[in-house]
Amino acid sequence: MQLDFTQDDEAFRVSAREWLLANAPRKRGPLDGQSARAFAQAWLSQCHKDGWSGIGWPKEYGGRGLPTEKIILWYEEYVRARAPSVLDCTFVSLNHAGPTLIACGTDEQKAYHLRRILVGDSIWCQGFSEPGSGSDLASLTTTGLVDGDHLVVNGQKIWTSYADIADFQELLIRTEPGSKRHKGLSWVICDMKSEGITVRPIKNMAGATHFAQVFYDNVRIPLSNVVGMLHDGWRVAMTTLGFERKTAAMGLQLELSIKIEDLIALAECPPGSAIGKQLAELRAEAAALRAMTYRTLFKDPVTASDGSLMRLYFAELSQRIHRAAMDILGADALTDSTWTHDYLESYSETIAGGTAEIQRNIIAERILGLPREQPA
Amino acid sequence: MTCDMNYNEDQRQILDAANALLNTSYPLSRLQEEKPDDLTALAEFGAFALALPEERGGTGFTIVEEALVHGLLGRHLISSRALANPIAARLAARLGRHEIAEQVAAGTLSVCAAVPADDSLLLIDGAKATLGVVFGGRQVILIALEELPREGVPGLGHSVVLSRVRGPLSMIGECTDSSLLDTSDLLVTAQLLGIAEASRDMAVSYAKVREQFGRSIGSFQAIKHHCANMSVDAEALSALLDMAAIAVRDERGDAAFQVAALRLLAPRVAFANVRTCIQIHGGIGFSAEADAHHYLKQVHVLRQLLSGNTMLDLPAPLAPYTSINERN
Repeated sequence: MQLDFTQDDEAFRVSAREWLLANAPRKRGPLDGQSARAFAQAWLSQCHKDGWSGIGWPKEYGGRGLPTEKIILWYEEYVRARAPSVLDCTFVSLNHAGPTLIACGTDEQKAYHLRRILVGDSIWCQGFSEPGSGSDLASLTTTGLVDGDHLVVNGQKIWTSYADIADFQELLIRTEPGSKRHKGLSWVICDMKSEGITVRPIKNMAGATHFAQVFYDNVRIPLSNVVGMLHDGWRVAMTTLGFERKTAAMGLQLELSIKIEDLIALAECPPGSAIGKQLAELRAEAAALRAMTYRTLFKDPVTASDGSLMRLYFAELSQRIHRAAMDILGADALTDSTWTHDYLESYSETIAGGTAEIQRNIIAERILGLPREQPA
Repeated sequence: MTCDMNYNEDQRQILDAANALLNTSYPLSRLQEEKPDDLTALAEFGAFALALPEERGGTGFTIVEEALVHGLLGRHLISSRALANPIAARLAARLGRHEIAEQVAAGTLSVCAAVPADDSLLLIDGAKATLGVVFGGRQVILIALEELPREGVPGLGHSVVLSRVRGPLSMIGECTDSSLLDTSDLLVTAQLLGIAEASRDMAVSYAKVREQFGRSIGSFQAIKHHCANMSVDAEALSALLDMAAIAVRDERGDAAFQVAALRLLAPRVAFANVRTCIQIHGGIGFSAEADAHHYLKQVHVLRQLLSGNTMLDLPAPLAPYTSINERN
């Protein structure tokens, strides 16, 4: 066991720090709509110009192919410099769609999309969940029937972040008629400007409108937009989710360490007080989350089930930290601010990307080997 | 690779060897006999001299390997004398009392843990100990016990073996140095982690075999989610312990911070897991015939050996460059 960063790593850390402190926007970007898109695109474009976009992507696809040691140093400097949240409208393209295309895409798909993603020209959204398929994703019913060299898509998706401002969607649909569960699905690239798509934005409980419901009415998607094999979309989708659990969440996890420091500064409390005791515990938990982040990156083998341990710990710690913020704010908790907004947003942490209850099932069944619940 | 959180070959070997010894010589079933642990086999294994340099009779490992072994000692509920021992050896060496240090490391001088209680001192499993290490607060004190009369005291749940000593203590020396306290806390929290993991494993094993309503109780979400929670907390604590052990070994600037975090988290996680373990066992968990209660009582013992909380006094390794006001 060792955590030794080389002189080269340290030099990289310093260059990342200097660049971020000189270039990262000092204010938080807009939360939703075209202004959020413009802000995120400008920031990603600026990162790309100086070689800071897709630092972990392979060089042949326009990235820098940096090793994990440097990637975590980048994110540590990123959150310390208070650079814009990594969970903006470029998150899906940089962390889901891009890596999936790299792993499973055709040469044409890679050639068209990867550079556009890295420079911030194209924004992606994710079309997985449906009104009837939340935790039970494999029950999805949006269909795509082969018609000549196209798929004709009908159905609806929901909780699609940034659907209203996205150019493309990673869309998971049932392409084999009569297929059940994980079989017969395909992962396709959907152009959001296609005829027959209707986007209905949904305002969330924090007052932001960054997710939406998407309706598909005979939307024609070329078969050349299928990523991986036709009817093999579940495997492709699992590839995507794997990325999220390993490196994509790094920036979010490390950001909690910054939030707890901010909270300690905000509270100005004596260590012996009740809130001081609470903050000490949260600080310890944020340290544990950072240690888990390191372990996930530098310990083999890490499975998707191991990712559930960290995902659950992160989600619940995030909520505890934001609840503590509300306690500290007193009457100011009633006003709209960064803290109160983030507090309300944190309610999504134990729902999005697999509810806390589903994560617990995964941990219990796949890691601990407990029996599955009998079907009803 | 410059960063690697896997155990290396040496670490795996020492863990395997220690595990084999513990399974043979210190099975949990021994607790039913209610006899003090004979630590001779562990001393012969070198468990108390792991981090001593080889020229002083040690095995030349580091605090990282020592913490790993203490995780196993925790799992096997070895007497807290196994914790008092390496701390006494280090303390004696710091005081220049190398003859004591070497005898303690070799296991020829018996040491017990002691905690202050009002105007007296409670010795934990120390009926025959010749030396005591007084834990608690931001200091550790080495005392000679030979001359002191001991009064037996009924221990927690009639399981913890206690004796009380009063009067002027024969102090050999004390240490308030943070580095020794951090080392001590690292070993104590490693044992707490061992208990947190062992109580999870015991609960999971039971949930697989215990049947109600015609199926194993582990298939019910009410039970499996308890087990998942035990795993998440143990995983977080385990990652933090590895991080802290590396930091202490390498004398990194964040070592004190990582240990401070451990000190807060370890007893909380261990208590939570042990409570859940008892609950999942139902009636048998409340009985003294199952072993779950031993875990609980050992967590109460270990908690007393941790030094004081410093979590908010230390700079964080990952702090923002600017204050929050500059952003809003």
